[in-house]
Amino acid sequence: MPINYVLLVSRQGKIRLAKWFTTLSPKEKTKIIKDVTQLVLSRRTRMCNFLEYKDTKVIYRRYASLFFITGVDTSDNELLTLEVIHRYVEVLDRYFGNVSELDLIFNFQRAYFILDELLLAGEMQESSKKTVLRVITQMDAMEEEEAKEEKE
Amino acid sequence: MRGLTVFIADIRNCRVRELEEKRINKEMANIRTKFKEGSLSGYDKKKYVCKLLYMYILGWDVDFGHMEAVNLISSSKYSEKQIGYLGVTLLMHENSDLVRLVVNSIRKDLDDNNEIHNCLALHAIANIGGREMAEALAGDVHRLLVSPNSKSFVKKKAALTMLRLFRKHPDVIPAPDWAERITNIIDDYDLGVCLSVTSLITALAQQYPEAFMMAIPKAITRLHKVIVERDFSADYVYYKIPIPWLQIKLLRLLQYFPPTEDPNMSEMLHNVLQTIINNSQETPRNVQHNNAQNAILFEAINLAIHLDCESDIVRQATNILARFILSRETNVRYLGLETMAHLAAVTDELDEIKKHEETIILSLRDKDISVRRRGLDLLYSMCDVTNVKTIVSELIRYLHIADYALREEMVLKIAIMTEKYATEYSWYVDVILQLISSAGDHVGEEVWYRVVQIVTNHESLQEYSAKMVLHYMRSPHCHENMLKVGGYILGEYGHLIANLPGASPIEQFNTLHARFGLCSLATRALLLSTYIKFVNLFPEIKGAILAVFNQYRHVLDAELQQRACEYMAIATMPTDDLLQTVCEEMPQFTERESALLSRLNEKTNQTEDKRTWNIGGKDSNEKTPANLLAAKENKENGSVDDLVAGVNGATISATGGATEEAAQGTNGAAATASSAATPAAPAAKAGLTWKDQLAPGHEVWYNRLRDGSDGVLYEDSILQIGIKSEYHGHLGRVAMYFGNKTHSQLNSFAVTVEAPEGLVVVNSHTLATSIGPSTQIQQLYSLECQQIPTEVPLIRISYQAGSMQSIYLKLPVTLTRFLEPIQLSSADFFARWKQIGGAPREAQSIFKSTEKINLERARAVLVNNRLGICENVDPKPGNFVATAVFNTSLNGKVGCLLRLEPNRDTDMYRLTIRTTSDVVSKHLKEILHTALL
Repeated sequence: MPINYVLLVSRQGKIRLAKWFTTLSPKEKTKIIKDVTQLVLSRRTRMCNFLEYKDTKVIYRRYASLFFITGVDTSDNELLTLEVIHRYVEVLDRYFGNVSELDLIFNFQRAYFILDELLLAGEMQESSKKTVLRVITQMDAMEEEEAKEEKE
Repeated sequence: MRGLTVFIADIRNCRVRELEEKRINKEMANIRTKFKEGSLSGYDKKKYVCKLLYMYILGWDVDFGHMEAVNLISSSKYSEKQIGYLGVTLLMHENSDLVRLVVNSIRKDLDDNNEIHNCLALHAIANIGGREMAEALAGDVHRLLVSPNSKSFVKKKAALTMLRLFRKHPDVIPAPDWAERITNIIDDYDLGVCLSVTSLITALAQQYPEAFMMAIPKAITRLHKVIVERDFSADYVYYKIPIPWLQIKLLRLLQYFPPTEDPNMSEMLHNVLQTIINNSQETPRNVQHNNAQNAILFEAINLAIHLDCESDIVRQATNILARFILSRETNVRYLGLETMAHLAAVTDELDEIKKHEETIILSLRDKDISVRRRGLDLLYSMCDVTNVKTIVSELIRYLHIADYALREEMVLKIAIMTEKYATEYSWYVDVILQLISSAGDHVGEEVWYRVVQIVTNHESLQEYSAKMVLHYMRSPHCHENMLKVGGYILGEYGHLIANLPGASPIEQFNTLHARFGLCSLATRALLLSTYIKFVNLFPEIKGAILAVFNQYRHVLDAELQQRACEYMAIATMPTDDLLQTVCEEMPQFTERESALLSRLNEKTNQTEDKRTWNIGGKDSNEKTPANLLAAKENKENGSVDDLVAGVNGATISATGGATEEAAQGTNGAAATASSAATPAAPAAKAGLTWKDQLAPGHEVWYNRLRDGSDGVLYEDSILQIGIKSEYHGHLGRVAMYFGNKTHSQLNSFAVTVEAPEGLVVVNSHTLATSIGPSTQIQQLYSLECQQIPTEVPLIRISYQAGSMQSIYLKLPVTLTRFLEPIQLSSADFFARWKQIGGAPREAQSIFKSTEKINLERARAVLVNNRLGICENVDPKPGNFVATAVFNTSLNGKVGCLLRLEPNRDTDMYRLTIRTTSDVVSKHLKEILHTALL
């Protein structure tokens, strides 16, 4: 029961991150982004977090100004996918320290790296917050070291 | 990277799109020049690739920079490598030509001793995952997965990378060979590894269930450990719930296997499920806790339903679900309805669910379309004979206010439910007509085709529907689809109501014609056909109709013009012979799977993981769209006095596939009843097969019809049976006529056909159960030759005349009926003759004719058996050479060559047959041998 894509979309409809776990042509991707964004942005707050789009389910949740949207197969467990999103947000929050949309704009590559540690092939790879953060910090340390070497 | 930050800030400051575009173009041009100049430092390259990626994410087209990203991959610096990989995964897809360039770098990183590099490489494969990568690297990925030296965080990624490769290119992964080592990883101490490998196994096991059977006990043990023994590392607790992702994966995995037979295992599993149900009673502390808890609960219920939908656990679950569909939380309502639909779709015991019918119907009025959809699905799944009227009338009421997006699906579902569970035909007609009149635009073509089919096949419906459709067409808002139905039905059955007030011929015509001008061309064409039928039915209004034809002879549209001209010509002929032939009543439609169901199934296509259940009633989960009023009718007949007849009529046995299974239900259930009700029934209880009981003297009639001609198949003092047939390729149609020769009614009349293997025989409608004095009834059968039938079909006719009588007969449907004669030249014939060669594909027999050899008669035998005689091929006059093609729908075509050498001096024949199938050779020889004797 894989996740097919993860989209981060601002309230104004700007894409902040788009990660695809299935192979689609650029045209198909644009179409999905356009349709799904429109569907999600038009929903009201008390509605449920699931909706149907063609043969897939869209599961989304709003955090402050950002919508976190995932597309999954109809047979997937909806609530759990919702918690995948939440875990991602939690890790981002811990990593950036009270994460904001700006953090994700200026450090978009980090948002991707963190997602890669959490999800692979559209499946939950690691659900432990601690383990994910440990790997990311390790990456940062290596990067810093390399930057230091460069200066010298 | 300061440059990147500045650039992003710049873009953010562009308030209008034009400014942003300008800034982007400037930057693109800049980067292009830098890349062209070459000799960039790793740092600069990384910075520029990052800028390109940012523009790409914003939605701008980036058509260069791929090479620079590829170069970064082979950098020795981690930060550069990482951006290189990110660039490659974002900008490339699996079919890109550049994939070839990265395969080698990736392999190098996979082999690297630095695990961090292994991980980057695995990410890249999992993100791109093309065939080329799969073929080149699957082995390396497997090694990283199963090697005892691999660290946990590498194993996790290797498992999911393999999963991705398997999903894209299952043929590249030798999963059964790797099954054992992969399955063992479920026991891994690290819960993250266990989670990833369970995802992998879930996918592999759907394809190779046998090879992964050993995952069942492992999955159960692991679940037991986590849920019952509470053995897990604190890192993996998610809001008080231990690793919900793993729990759900394991619960799902078990749904792809049949229930375990090991009593220890099933007890463990029962404990697991019971613990989950008990835990769900705990009041959750926050949204996350609640979601995770419910997510597991729903999955556990799904598994419990899969294991045994009548178990105690499922009963407890039903109560929980009943609470859920009343919940104030939208998500919970949604999931409650969805899971209940799963239960309704597989269980026989709908009573518990039916208690909540009111709540479920109310959910159609929920604020949220997602919930409304689930409500609709559930109603569709829980529908049966007892509640169909309530549900359908609710749905029709709701249809007027339903979302546009939902209406078409609703109409389809209403039409299917009505057809499937209707107990009275008139109700069926009422509902469908109401549907067409109130939701016209959302009614697909299939719906009105279907109603026409059903009305045509059920005589008792025809008058009623004609009356109703006329009524609907008079309402001010008559939809065009209604006009189509009306046109067809009145054209066929208008005469049945012509004596009613307000339905005289001219009034029928005026009702239709009033809207003629407003319809589409296709509908007008259909109505013209109705009018010509009217000319035949009601000569008194011919004048008015001829005026219409005359007018349309000059219309621009070619189709309409042609029809008008032709109909005009037919209608003005001196005699009515042609008119009557052309307008003969339409024959019955052959029963086939309802087009509605196939349409609906089309809509629910699968994507990646298989669904563990389908929306709809129980039958849609047994892959048998057992449907149709026909079957229903038989059930009802059965409950009245005509038990035997009704049931036998239902069970044309061996119709293959769907109908067979459907029929068997009725058959089995009523078999006992029938023997009780009519103890006199001599039905082959003694273990005699049909073949042993063939009617005396049947051979005489059979042999006369063996060559495919039409005529009498059987006759005695009570019954006469006639047969007419036609064949084309692998298909055939046989009409049988049963005539009652006596002056009293024959009751409990039933006909059953037993088709041999390879031949499918389907009857077109349910036969009447009685034949009036001196009358005849007709049954049509469609034949399909799927493989090579080695026998002919048998038929059993039974009726009540004092006591129960049964007649068993052979139907003259030999293999040769499915031959198609062809002609070959001498050269072609002998080339093929040689190609096929001798035994086993050759069959020969030398025999003496019982009478003096007559060449004309021998020729007739060949021609009647549908062989094409090739003249001047055999040098010796008097010898025959003939060829044909034998058609099957599943086994393709078989070429047949034949030589027949009569010896008129000794009255001996030598018959040699060569075909591309030894079975066909043998049987063809036998058939011709008997025929020539």
